[in-house]
Amino acid sequence: MSSPVLELQNVTKLYGDFRAVDDVSFQLEAGEVYGFLGPNGAGKTTTLRMILDIIRPTEGTVQLLGASSALEVRHRIGYLPEEKGLYKKMKAWSVIAYFGTLKGMPRRAAKEKAHALLERYGLKDFAEQKTEALSKGMGQKVQVLASVVHDPEFVILDEPFSGLDPVNQQVMEEIIHDLAQRGRTVLFSTHVMQHAERLCRKILLIARGKKIFDGTIEAARRTQPRRVRLATADSIHPLETLHGVTRANALDEPAPGGERRWELQVREGFDAQEILQAAFRSGIRLRSFEQNDPTLHEVFMNLVGPEAREAAFR
Amino acid sequence: MRYAWLIAVREYVENAKTKGFWIGLLLFPAILFLSIQVPILLEKKGSPTRYFVLVDQSGEFEGVVDTAVDRHQQWQLLRSLTDYATKNSRAQMKSGKGVDLESVPAPGGGAIEEFLDAFAETNPQALDRFSQQGGQEAFLKQVRPYLKTNAPPFEVPKQRFGKVPLPDGVSAGDSLTNIARGLRPYLRGERKITVDGKSVDLYAAVLIPKDVAKRIVRPGQMAHLMSKERGVEYWSGNLADLALRNEIERGINAEVRRREYTAKQIDVQTIRQVERTHAPFSNLNPKKEEGKEGVSMADYIRQFAPSGFVYLLWVAIFSIAQMLLNNTIEEKSNRIIEVLLSSVTPGELMLGKLMGIAGIGLTMIGSWILALVGVLLWKAGPQLEFAQQLLEVLKTSNLLPWFAFYFLCGYVLYAGVILALGSVCNTIKEAQNFMGVITVVMMVPLFTLTFIPKDPNGPIARVLSWIPCYTPFTMMNRATADPPLVDQVGTVILMLVSAGASIWLSSKVFRIGILRTGQPPRVIEMIRWIKGGSH
Repeated sequence: MSSPVLELQNVTKLYGDFRAVDDVSFQLEAGEVYGFLGPNGAGKTTTLRMILDIIRPTEGTVQLLGASSALEVRHRIGYLPEEKGLYKKMKAWSVIAYFGTLKGMPRRAAKEKAHALLERYGLKDFAEQKTEALSKGMGQKVQVLASVVHDPEFVILDEPFSGLDPVNQQVMEEIIHDLAQRGRTVLFSTHVMQHAERLCRKILLIARGKKIFDGTIEAARRTQPRRVRLATADSIHPLETLHGVTRANALDEPAPGGERRWELQVREGFDAQEILQAAFRSGIRLRSFEQNDPTLHEVFMNLVGPEAREAAFR
Repeated sequence: MRYAWLIAVREYVENAKTKGFWIGLLLFPAILFLSIQVPILLEKKGSPTRYFVLVDQSGEFEGVVDTAVDRHQQWQLLRSLTDYATKNSRAQMKSGKGVDLESVPAPGGGAIEEFLDAFAETNPQALDRFSQQGGQEAFLKQVRPYLKTNAPPFEVPKQRFGKVPLPDGVSAGDSLTNIARGLRPYLRGERKITVDGKSVDLYAAVLIPKDVAKRIVRPGQMAHLMSKERGVEYWSGNLADLALRNEIERGINAEVRRREYTAKQIDVQTIRQVERTHAPFSNLNPKKEEGKEGVSMADYIRQFAPSGFVYLLWVAIFSIAQMLLNNTIEEKSNRIIEVLLSSVTPGELMLGKLMGIAGIGLTMIGSWILALVGVLLWKAGPQLEFAQQLLEVLKTSNLLPWFAFYFLCGYVLYAGVILALGSVCNTIKEAQNFMGVITVVMMVPLFTLTFIPKDPNGPIARVLSWIPCYTPFTMMNRATADPPLVDQVGTVILMLVSAGASIWLSSKVFRIGILRTGQPPRVIEMIRWIKGGSH
């Protein structure tokens, strides 16, 4: 295991009395893709801005690539902010090249790299267009390319998928994959769990400024009880009383034939096959039986559900 | 510094591509060029020949009107001739100075001034003499030795006024009322008259009644003013160009007076001589050294030229301040600012913007000054005495270095305020509210623009000089008036300190404001930021 590229220790950010980020600590390993999850207003953007030293924490420390300020290592990091914008009157290639030079690239190299990236991600024909003439998706791609043109070791993407159509979301995933394959560390925030599930092994979850979870997606799933779903017209009483079943919920009202869908929560380590056997033994006729792990979405909703709703109204 | 420089270069290049920049760059030279060239062009093109009819039922003034019109034409001819002589004289080529008009002998043998004077008289014999002596031909012959070898041939100016006979159907013997009735359609442009085969408009009609001599108004004869009887009738639809009317009126009245003098047995020649006598007046300036205290045109220019520079300064500072505001708000509203701030510090960003836009401003005023000096060099000479003198003033005074200094200081001072403002506003609209206040403050130098040169070291000028936001404009306006040393040195220090302070305070607001979204902060909040609140 390599040394952490990013380490936050007890980071707190106060705006007046409001705790935007509250005593958050975590570490990121080099070469990993991290999903940074949390409801709106959870403190994700504030945390990312503190990592980048755009704003300073009220308390706590941030260490990025061995430096105490991101500006010291600015050539080695890339950043795509949540709200995207470009200089409207500049050409696509020239915006990318400009941000490259701000990250220390020589002008000529930045220009060549800009053109190469535009070609690589299907925007070759738009290189000479002013960014105001680009569609939203294209503009966003240009901005992502501008944030990685200098081939940074550590890339922060704040809501990279928001506002993108499925095709462009695909391209965005591709860009992240490419970064990961070249061993770059990526931290991206999102509230679309499918992206996190597809792209990363590890996630950070915060809500109301506090860290709620930090670890692999597998571990996140394990925080939730496993479930079995079945459909039958018979009474499920014999199944409810099994020692491994902790809870049974009806998912709907009985259909005309008396059939109903149920969800049974089962204890960790309990073999769901036993439910099937018990049903067979008790003569319960099953119309369907499925055993599935909780999705990340469910994990998310369960961990931050009430918080998410509260935060959304704040 | 490298990052500030990169930002400055981008600001410069991107702003140099905008239409506003090019308009700013070219507008002043264009206005300058046009303001010099248009009058020359207009003179060349001239107005069309004005055709008029004359009905003199008294039979006394026809010759006078002819002379008046002819004299006007001769005047123009002479002016063209002297212009031509000046423009093409060899003396101008050598020294840059024009040929001395008085030294050019006139056909009559005297100096040109006298020669022209002769034509100011209504005496028809003066014209006869001119034509008898060869007129234009003789003049050109006389000045030829002074002309350049490659001088173009002289072009006779277009005739301003042309007398035409009455159109068919209008009889000179009819009553004036009927004649006027008959001419109305022509004067209204509904019918045309034919001159040399061309159909043209009748511009005016001059109708002199039979008993005009009886209608002459003398002092003490108020009754005539009240009566409805008209004297000489001048009919024309054009009320703006009164040149024809004035010429004829002056001619007729001069003749009327000549007759009065004769009737009262006063010698007309003596009267003419007396009217041309005068006591010379000299303007003297006690501030100039003895023997050189005469006030020249250059002295007037020296006093008022700074006002021109104040105006340029004002336009330059506020047009680029507007650019700075727009750019800052664009970056903020587009959220480009966050990407920038992950690469550069707010200080570097601010410095870069400041430098980039300063470059734009310097380019702009550089082009203005080049255009000014270029036009002056091109036009300097006897034709435009003013240009020559202004050039001299620019060479011998410190106007240009002061202009550059006050531009930079004034710009930095206002840029500080603008950057702070831009950083806290999310849209141009929000910024407009604040800009309103700034604009009112900024208007003061314009109000005092013409006032200060009249009393450049007076109390108001001195007080305004010590108010930082007015220092550049006021001190620029006083630049050639030798303000007291304490004002000169003191305000330079004041300017440097306040420009520095403006940027320092602004940077405090900028680094916090630039990341803020939502409502612009209250002033009290900004003061807290300046005092060093967290961000």
